[in-house]
Formats: sequence, structure tokens, C-alpha cells
Amino acid sequence: MRRFLIPAFMMLLSGFTTHAQDSVEVRQLDSIRITARARLRDMGVQKTSLDSLELRNDITGSLAQVLTRTSTLFIKHYGRATLSTASFRGTSPSHTQVTWNGMKINSPMLGMVDFSTIPSYFVDKADLYHGPGSVTISSGGLGGAIALSSAIPQQDGISLSFIQGAGSFLTFDEFLHFTVKKPTWSASTRVYFVSSRNDYKYINYRKKHFFYDDQGNVSGYEYPVERNKNGSFMDFHVLQDFYLTGRSNGTWNISAWYARTDRGIPLLNVDYKENAGVANNQKDNTFRATAGWRKISGNSKLEVHTGYTYTDMLYQYDRDLGNGERAIMVHSQSNVHSLSADVEGEWYLKKWMFSADISLNQHFVTSTDKAVISVEGEQSLLGYQQARLEMSAFVAARYRPTERLGLSVSLREDLYGKELTPPIPSFFAEFLVSRKGQVTLKASAARNYRYPTLNDLYFMPGGNPLLKPEEGISFDGGLSAQHQGRLFRWSGNVTGFYSRISNWIAWLPTFKGFWSPVNVKQVKSYGIECRGSLEIIPGHDWEIGGNGNFSWTRSLNLGDPVSWADGAIGKQLVYIPEFSAAFTGRVSWKEWTFTYDWTYYSERYTTSSNMTRTQLGVLGPYFMNDIALEKSIRLNHAVLHVKAIVRNLFNEAYETVLARPMPGINYTLSVGIVPLFR
Amino acid sequence: MKRFNLLITAGLLLLMLPVGSCMKYGPSQTETFLPGPAGEGMFIINEGNFMYANASLTYYIPGSGKTENEVFIRANGINLGDVAQSMSIYGDNGYIVVNNSGVIFVIDPDTFRLKGSITGLISPRYIHFIDARKAYVTDLYQEKITIVDPQAFRISGHIPTPGHRSTEKMVQWENYVFVTCWSYDNKILVIDTATDRITDSLEVGHQPTDLVLDRNGKIWCAAAGNLYRIDARSRNIEKIFPLRADGARTHLALNAFSDTLYYLNKSLWRMAINQATTGNTPFIVLDDRPYYGLAVDPVSSDIYVADALDYVQPGKVYRFNPGGEPVDTLTTGINPGSFCFK
Repeated sequence: MRRFLIPAFMMLLSGFTTHAQDSVEVRQLDSIRITARARLRDMGVQKTSLDSLELRNDITGSLAQVLTRTSTLFIKHYGRATLSTASFRGTSPSHTQVTWNGMKINSPMLGMVDFSTIPSYFVDKADLYHGPGSVTISSGGLGGAIALSSAIPQQDGISLSFIQGAGSFLTFDEFLHFTVKKPTWSASTRVYFVSSRNDYKYINYRKKHFFYDDQGNVSGYEYPVERNKNGSFMDFHVLQDFYLTGRSNGTWNISAWYARTDRGIPLLNVDYKENAGVANNQKDNTFRATAGWRKISGNSKLEVHTGYTYTDMLYQYDRDLGNGERAIMVHSQSNVHSLSADVEGEWYLKKWMFSADISLNQHFVTSTDKAVISVEGEQSLLGYQQARLEMSAFVAARYRPTERLGLSVSLREDLYGKELTPPIPSFFAEFLVSRKGQVTLKASAARNYRYPTLNDLYFMPGGNPLLKPEEGISFDGGLSAQHQGRLFRWSGNVTGFYSRISNWIAWLPTFKGFWSPVNVKQVKSYGIECRGSLEIIPGHDWEIGGNGNFSWTRSLNLGDPVSWADGAIGKQLVYIPEFSAAFTGRVSWKEWTFTYDWTYYSERYTTSSNMTRTQLGVLGPYFMNDIALEKSIRLNHAVLHVKAIVRNLFNEAYETVLARPMPGINYTLSVGIVPLFR
Repeated sequence: MKRFNLLITAGLLLLMLPVGSCMKYGPSQTETFLPGPAGEGMFIINEGNFMYANASLTYYIPGSGKTENEVFIRANGINLGDVAQSMSIYGDNGYIVVNNSGVIFVIDPDTFRLKGSITGLISPRYIHFIDARKAYVTDLYQEKITIVDPQAFRISGHIPTPGHRSTEKMVQWENYVFVTCWSYDNKILVIDTATDRITDSLEVGHQPTDLVLDRNGKIWCAAAGNLYRIDARSRNIEKIFPLRADGARTHLALNAFSDTLYYLNKSLWRMAINQATTGNTPFIVLDDRPYYGLAVDPVSSDIYVADALDYVQPGKVYRFNPGGEPVDTLTTGINPGSFCFK
């Protein structure tokens, strides 16, 4: 097969060589122009960019794991392949807006994104917009926004890589990446498959096996050693990207991503039900496709995107009754079709840059629960069917009067259904204090709104069509610096932030016996985010580096007390740590690389009144230590990458979420093969 | 140079490794509780939050006003579990039904120490004792009621409830147990305790929850916001007290003499069991919010109203004397939903 493929691609390559020289020059010019304009576009914005090196640390990593390690976001999860949500600056997961190749991918029903369903190997670039900067991407990011994107392959010609990982608890990861890059077009195909029994053993400190004497009195006990029950999972993803670069007609790109996940929902460690015969799992089928066109000319850029997303999600909880029948407890299914379109333009006029963007999203949602039994004793459907059009228009003017100073002002306006949000203004400023060390001051402020999700408005029972949008105002300011020397390279960033969100939507019980969302809370959050990196190149074969982050986040409930007895006012929000930090250290010598990851969260409260006297109200501080050793082996026709990873190095017993025991020390061995086509 | 490199590497590695470890997690400490005054004391069953496994048990001594929270975990060193639904005392044992953990814990009501547990259940809600060797357990997700042996702590049989997946509260009149079918249902089933089979059923409003039996042999049921008075002997609905425009009637309780009915409808209301109408003014005016539980002391007739506040913090229980005057306010666990008097 290879014998056929390589000559075939060589023939294709020869067909393009006549244009190659010109295209390279055009690309280089474009690249310089794009870099300069990106600096102007992101002026004053607090942004963290993750490159492919950080995103592809190891094959077992979802985007949730990468964000935990490399950013100041708080990722709430309880193990691999479990719901993993991201919060910026003490806000809720639905306050994090996420785009993929310019298309919003937050669920229109739930408002959030499960980052465990995004393999980090499927993302070439991730830009994290903290606080006010999110309005340049989308509205609704009261905490921030994450822009994920694919990129044109870097290596010319054909390249192929295959990585296979085998780990504890019968976990197997496979990743295949095939790319072709020609002067005028390129294509990338990625396939990822993972399966795991995920039935790790743990000592269950929440249960006891008692021993009884002849009189029936307790004579002793032991903590049972149990397995993680019903935690198996299987994910399959395939992503195809295609790029076409015309000489004067702009650049085209098409991406299509299909994902199928089948995941067990693990039982709590206080569950006494027997595992046999219980099916409690979630199956998702998701297809996302985007098509885009971009043209950069002398003083302008025009970009058009269209996209489509289909998601069907089935959550079922049933049990074998032993007589061939199953007791269906929950059978909840939803189907979502979303269409999107976006047109964006940028114009440069000496020291000014103007931009405008208009985006449309049309959602069609059907949500049903088939497990409901009607009063007549027959199975019936409960749910809703809704369609909603969302539109967002954005204009911005950026001005750089001197090399050191940059100012920017923008305005966004959103329409959802028949409702219009108030205008969303934002301001950004940047000042270069010192050229040496690139010491830069940044400040920004924005008003923002997040309109209710379709479940908030229409879920049966309980949806509240009278909900108002959540309203936020946020400010931040910070200092960044960097140095690139022969022996040392370092960068650092410190930012302070403040935000206030009102009409925060929360689901509460009603007189009618079910839960319903209401605009209740006001939340004030403030704190500090720090990021830094250091690289030392002491010798010819050596590289020593590290990067880390730290954040201090106070996220306080300032809503009206529900009664005089309400102890939640002025208290930290549930499951938001006040302090978090992460550090990654890396030492490379020749083909060897040793990596050490350390992650920390301070204690998290599980009650809104932050009760610490109770044994159930606090999850203790979280410290995690992982190490990895990697070696590259260069053979005649291929490069091998062998990597051994040890997670939970000190074999800690712990929970990150109440009643969700986590695995002890566990191992992964991965082998990557990159054939060398010559 | 090589030596310099090695030194830097070794130094960095040493710095890295002990950065932090040792999470606070492991066995819970246990305490010894001395038996309180005989015959006095009540339990408040705090549901906790669904899937948070933070249910707990509060013990309150009305005479002294002493409150002890989380007595189950403190006495036994293990969690009570996920969604503690109800508790009943029979003989010397207290039976705590923990819904989403699928277990009934059996404790000593004086020391709170675990005596055993009943497992093999799916989604148990309430337990009702027929005699020393037989009790019925209702379930949210099974078309059957489970029969358990409360002394041997094991399942001894089932009562099929075809077409009724959710069974809830139970009261017994003579040899018949009346059971509400709550979730998306509208029936009250009648079970003959001699045969353990359904013999009859009644139709009431949607989602019938609470059920109490008064001194006249009348069963009171709250369903669809209405109050139903049912004659236990004839199994006929005698009277319906319809839903008021300003809210729904929920959470029923009877006083010590079983001649006065209490219920919640934003505020606390009461009526004599033979009263023709429910009246227009509440007995005790409460803040206009949903409350989470109601109980009346079977000896003193003191009234207890449970308030879950925002549902994610320890709740409050407001105690009133039979005259409606406030006596005490207790801090409980999360979502105090039901009560059990010794």
C-alpha cells in the first residue's frame, strides 16, 4: 500500500511545484501580517494560548486534563471520562463559552461543554480568553471563553504518526494522524479510540464490614476493598480537516468531526445496590462540521464560516428485574441540530483597526423522557421540542497612537428568540512600559450577558420561560513580561480581576413538587491569576524548563437571603477552591525527557454556608503528583517515542467530588511511531 | 560542564518531588453517645443532596433543647449515604431508609450504633411494620413492594404492584395497609396484610404523597394540591378540600390525639378532623416559601416545621408549641425532610 501511496503523492506534489515558490513567499508575508494584526486584535486582552506541545503531552489526556495542568481554570471532574466542566475566575461552567473553528459548541440545552469529550490531540491551538476578553469571541462568557481550532499541518509532504497507549484498569488508547501538505492544499485525518474497564480498586472508607459475635453484637469491622463500579467507557473520534490556499481567492478550510462516546456513570461509594444488572450510562453521538473561507488583502481581512452540529444524547438508568424484564428508571434522550453562520471583517487604517462580526445560530432541540409512566399506568413521553435563533453582532475599533500605547473599544448586541439583550460594551488598554523584558501593562472592562439555555426555559417539568438573562460586569488589569536569551527564556504574567454577576440562574424546588430555575443569586468574584515559565539551556544536549500557574479566587454569593436564617450570604460558592496552582517541570537530555506534574486545589466547600464543622461539608486540599519518562529512538525509517507515565505517584486515596473515590497509583505505557517518508 | 548540568538537574529534581502530597482523607473518627433520657428524643432525617452522599441524621432532645448533628457518621464512622428518605422505630431498633444508596440501616436509637443493614433494594422510600417479623418497604422504581424481616435484616418477599412503579407512604387501618403511588401516578393501593396482596385501589389527584390516619378511621391524603378525606372502612372519598388559588396543600401531620390535622400551604394551617372547610387564615404565618417537612410530636403535640433554606446548606427546624408560639429553632443537616419520634 505504501509503495503505491508514496509515488501517488509524489506525482501530486510534482504537479504543484510550479506554484510552490510564489506560495511560500505569499505565506511568509501573510504570516508576518497575521502576527502583527493578532497583536493589535488581542490588545489589552488577558489571553492564555496553549500550543500543540502543551496540548499533546500524552495520549491519555483529554482537554480537561490539559486545562487542569496548564491554566488557572478550575476543572471539576471525578476521574477520566466523567463530566468535566471548566470554570474561569470562580464562575459557573455555563459561563465558559467554547468555540471550535469559530463555531460555538456549548450545548444549547445545558449551556456548558464537557471537556472530557474533547481529545487534546484533536486540537492544534487553544486560546483562553479570561474575563472581559471573552466578549471579543462571543457573548455569554461571563467567566471567559475558549477558542479551539485546527491548524494547517506543519510538515511538508506526507506525514503519519500512530500512538498506542496501554494503561492500568485495562485502558487502551489509539491515535492515528495522517497529514498531507502541498503548496496549495493540505489535509489532515485523525482517528482516536479509547476503551477502559476503569474498575480500579480502592479502600472504601465510607462503608464498613462489621463482624458480629454469637449474641449479635458487633465484635469488629474492616473497610471493604471495592472496585469502581459501572465506570467503563469507550470513546471513538474521527476528525478530517482540509485546507485549500488559492493565490488570490483566499483560503478555504473544511473540518468534520464525529464523536461517539459510551460511558458508564460510576456508582457512589455509598451505594449498596449490586452492580449486576444495572445499566446507568450515557451515550452521545456528535457530529460537527465547519466550512470557512478567508481572504487577506493589503488592508483588510474577510472571513466567512458556516457550521452544523448534531448531537444525540441518551441517558438511561435501568435494572434487570431477574425475570427477563428491566425496570426503566430514567430514559432521557435529546436530539439537537444547530446551524451556524458567521461573517467577520477587519480593516486597517494606519494606526487604526476596525472590525465587525455578525453570527447566527439556529438550534432545533427535542428532549424526551420515555421512562415516565402516565396516570393511566402507561408509558408516556415527557419533554419539549423547541427551536431558537440566536444572533450576535460585534463591532470594534482599535487604536495604537504610539508604539507603546494601544486602546480598544467594542460593542456587541445579542438577539435570542424574540428577546434582545442590552448592549455589551467593552474597553481594552495596553501600555508597553519597557522594551527590555517586554514589560506590558494591560487593563480591560466589559459588561456581558448570558441568556437562559433551552432547558432553563422549556424543560418539562420546571422550565421557566420568564427567566431573565444573567448580567455581568467585569474588570481586570495586569502586568506581563518576558525575556528570550541564549541560556534563559522566561515569561511571567500577573493579573487581578473583579466581576459581579446578577440574575444568576439556579434551579430550586417549587410548591409544585419539581425543580424550576429562577434568577436568584448575585455573585461577586475577585482574585489574582499568575502564570510563568522558565527554560534553561545549560548545555548542548540539555534543556530544563518549567511552567506554572497560581490563582486566588474569591467567589462570593451576595444574593438576597432566602430568610433570616440563610447562612450563605457572603460565602464562597460551592466547589470553587480559593487557591489553585499547578507546576510542570521538564528536563531533557539528548533523546530523554523527564516530566513532573504537580497540581493543587485548596479545600472546596460542599455547602453554600461553607460549613466546616461538619464532616460532609468540606473536601480537603488536593495535591497530585504525576511523572513521566520519555525517550525518542531514531531508526532508519521511523522515529519511535516511548513514554512511561506514573499518575498519583504517592498512591493517595482521595475524592475530588463527594463520594467519588479516585484511582490510586496507576501507569500508562505509550509507544508512538512516526514513519520517515524519504 | 557535564558536572554542572548534572548538578542543576539533580537540584531541580529534588526541588520538584516533595512539592506536596498527603491529602486529608481516610477513616472517620467515631464517638460514643450515652443513652439519653428514656422516651424522649427525636430524629430529623436530612436528605442531603442527590448524588452528593451527604445525608445525615440529627438527634434532638425536646426537654433540654440539645441538638446533635451527624450522629450516624459520628457514631459509626461511615456515611449515612445518598438521600436519606425516612426513619421508623420498631421495638428497640431504628430503621433508616436511604433511598439512593439502596439500603436500610438498623441502629440502636439510644447510641446510634449500627446493628445491621438490609440490602438488595433498589430505591427504597418508607418502611411500615406489620409485626415483629414482617415490614413493607415502598420503592420509587419498582413495580412491587418489598417485604422484609426486620429482625433478620433480610428480604422475605414481594407484593407486586402492576402498573404502579412508584409506591410511597403507608398507613394501616385494621388489617389493611393503604399506599400512595406517587411519581406520575394517582392511586392509593389497599393491601391485605394477611395475604400480602393488593385487594383494592382508589383514585385521587395526581402525585399523591402524604397519608395519615385520624382517630375516626379516616385517611387524609395530599394530592395535586388538594386534601382528600377517605373513609378507611368503605374506601370511599368522603370529602375533597380543593386546592387554593395561592398554593398547594402538602405535608400532613396529626396531633397527639389524632383529632387535629396540620398541613403546609406556604404557611402552617390546621383544622379539626371533622371540620367542613379548611378556614381562611393560617394557624402560623410563615415566610412565603416552600418548606421541606412537617411533624407533630405524638406526645406533646409540639409542631416542627423544616426549612431547607437554599437546599445546599444546613437547614433549620422551627419548633412551636400546640398554641402556635415559637419554642426553639434548630440547625440540622442539609434538606431536613422527615422526622422520627422515639
